[in-house]
Amino acid sequence: MSGLASLETGLLLGLYALLAGIWGVLWALAQFRRTPIVGRSAAAAYGLHTLVALTIVLWTPLGSGWKCLIIGSSLFFFALPPLTWRLLQRTHDNERSEHDRESSQHSRRLVARL
Amino acid sequence: MYRSQTLAVKYLSAAIALFGIMTLFGLISAYYYLNPDFLFGILPFSIAKIVHINTLVIWLLMGFMGSIYWFLPGELGRETAGIRAAEVLFYVFCAAVAVVAVVFIIVQYGSSNEVALWLINQGRKYVEAPRWAALGIVVIMVVFAYNVIGTAIAARKTTGIITVLMIDLIPLILLYLIAFPAISNMSADLFWWWWLVHLWVEATWEVLIGCIMALALMQLLGTSRRIVETWLYIEVALVLGTGILGLGHHYFWIGTPNYWLTIGGFFSALEPLPLLGMVVHAVYDAGAQHMKTTNRPAFYWMMAEAFGNFIGAGVWGFMITLPQVNLYAHGTQWTVSHGHFAFWGAYSCGVISVLYLVLQKTRNLAFVDGPLWKWSFAALNLGLVGMTGALLVSGFVQAFVERAIGGSTLNAFISGQENAWFVDGMVARFLLAIVFTGGYVVLVWDALSLGRRAPTVATVAAAQ
Repeated sequence: MSGLASLETGLLLGLYALLAGIWGVLWALAQFRRTPIVGRSAAAAYGLHTLVALTIVLWTPLGSGWKCLIIGSSLFFFALPPLTWRLLQRTHDNERSEHDRESSQHSRRLVARL
Repeated sequence: MYRSQTLAVKYLSAAIALFGIMTLFGLISAYYYLNPDFLFGILPFSIAKIVHINTLVIWLLMGFMGSIYWFLPGELGRETAGIRAAEVLFYVFCAAVAVVAVVFIIVQYGSSNEVALWLINQGRKYVEAPRWAALGIVVIMVVFAYNVIGTAIAARKTTGIITVLMIDLIPLILLYLIAFPAISNMSADLFWWWWLVHLWVEATWEVLIGCIMALALMQLLGTSRRIVETWLYIEVALVLGTGILGLGHHYFWIGTPNYWLTIGGFFSALEPLPLLGMVVHAVYDAGAQHMKTTNRPAFYWMMAEAFGNFIGAGVWGFMITLPQVNLYAHGTQWTVSHGHFAFWGAYSCGVISVLYLVLQKTRNLAFVDGPLWKWSFAALNLGLVGMTGALLVSGFVQAFVERAIGGSTLNAFISGQENAWFVDGMVARFLLAIVFTGGYVVLVWDALSLGRRAPTVATVAAAQ
């Protein structure tokens, strides 16, 4: 790997991870602000991330194993925000229903005591 | 207030004071690159750098201990066990840090013998403290572990967070013991030394800050324990899953077998994944709370922690983690850039967040807000991001001119150091370090004057 190629690969790897982060943040923001611009920006960020991943795969002198890792990571990065979100929602919903159940049992106990 | 919480305030105050000393010596170290004759014959660059890095480790450690001493009694519903010993050891700790710093600055170095190793400098990067002080740190950490575990035993209860914390304290102490052996084979020495440095920073400290942030989240946003603990388990599993074998990225060029290139590269390439999960979690929490909180600085510093961790450790680390790039990038300012950003994001922001939580409680403030914290937040983050950007530019020059083109010869090193981009990067780093220092001054000013401006809980209650 030449010096210039190493620098370019390093920069591309940084950009790759940064765009994955921007995709995650925008995707999460889009869940709260249902304006199309945020959702589209998230899609654009992931599109750019894919473009950078393709550039790394097709253009840098990394070995094939590392290129497979880049593709695999890109798929994970795509799935991670929705998966995390769903898990977060489920934990919060469970907690809320538990809380509701506890308070209704509490009111039932109060009524019974009265 | 529990005695443990009074001790926490002392620890956090000492931590912030050491944060200032770290910043000062960082500023001095940065200036050597512009004027290598600076303090010639008085204070060499190597000593300024030692003080800068060692105060970084100690201020964060004190910040973590302060945070735990703050949350522990509330969590377990009783005073911390062995609090008297902890109180005494706090003063011993401060005195030892002062003595070590004075020895570093005045004595600086000794002969290559046992006396120098015991009294002046152990000579191992990041854990340079002389052996007597290193032994003292072990004693302090053992007492700290006793404080946590003993409190849980005395209270006859534990929580998920405290259990994780108790388990974490064991490797935290055991790994520090690696600071002691003086191994003459450099490869073997570095092999074990990285266990201490990497597994402290990217494993045990990550778990520790995870526990602290979990406790802080419950206090700051009132998030339920079940949610916080579920996420603590998931995040700890992911961070440890990628972080432990990510140790391999330090084994690329120290004489270890080739398989470490694959192991280190693979596991450290996975490290950004859990960090992205944390960022999504932070956005969820911020959105669920509609950015409303009674302690805005603590909330914003907590958000900065999640984002800074992802960018500093995840993005900056990912640039240099594959062996092909690391071959050229390791040991350059590129790595320094990553180190600064990662420590800031992963740990410093978290400790500052807890500091504001503690200030709110100790001064009985209903709301914490105002212009000062915003100035310090902006200056510290802008200064830090700017510094890391400038270091990145200088690091590129080193990787390219010195390593890739020049082949790491002495001439190539000089060419790299004299390159205009490298020099400009260093100038920019120094200027932005001044901005960072300004942010620190405002942070201290805000911390000292906070109660004078904000309304107390009693005032708000009376008004209502």
